[in-house]
Amino acid sequence: MANLLLELALAIGAAGTLLAVVRLVKGPRAASRAVALDVLTLITMPMMAAYGLYAGRQIYLDVALVYGILSFLGVTALARYADRGV
Amino acid sequence: MNIVTWLNLVDLLVCLVVIISAIGAAVHRNLLAATVFAGVVSLAISFLFLRLAAPDVAMTEAAIGAGLSTVIFLIAVRRTEEVEGKDQ
Repeated sequence: MANLLLELALAIGAAGTLLAVVRLVKGPRAASRAVALDVLTLITMPMMAAYGLYAGRQIYLDVALVYGILSFLGVTALARYADRGV
Repeated sequence: MNIVTWLNLVDLLVCLVVIISAIGAAVHRNLLAATVFAGVVSLAISFLFLRLAAPDVAMTEAAIGAGLSTVIFLIAVRRTEEVEGKDQ
């Protein structure tokens, strides 16, 4: 049952990654590409957590935490640049 | 399909994302978009490091690649020019 839920999470994450990559490649403006980067980050974090659950290692959850904090910093810098420059 | 197959599929997809984003970062004329592509490359590489059972390398890549280098690239783009070859 737990494996079924993990498979479902991986499948949904893969579908979301595909859609976000389409927006990343097509995106007419740089701002839509920044949103695609944010979406990819938000998809990658729970996939890291799901893989940590599958592998049974706690350190993977720490990686997901550090990843979320620092990529938030990057997306915030992009948004600030789009607003008025760094 | 069992879960190992799904994990391999996700790995393949992430590798494709790395290749597409690297090509986009190399060929794009708008340097802001190229910065975003470079951020996506380091994001996906960090996930691949995690899959290769190297969580410390993945954490460092996430800190340096996704956090620091994006900000430094943005500062550099602002100090120079946003579209490559605009004033030549």
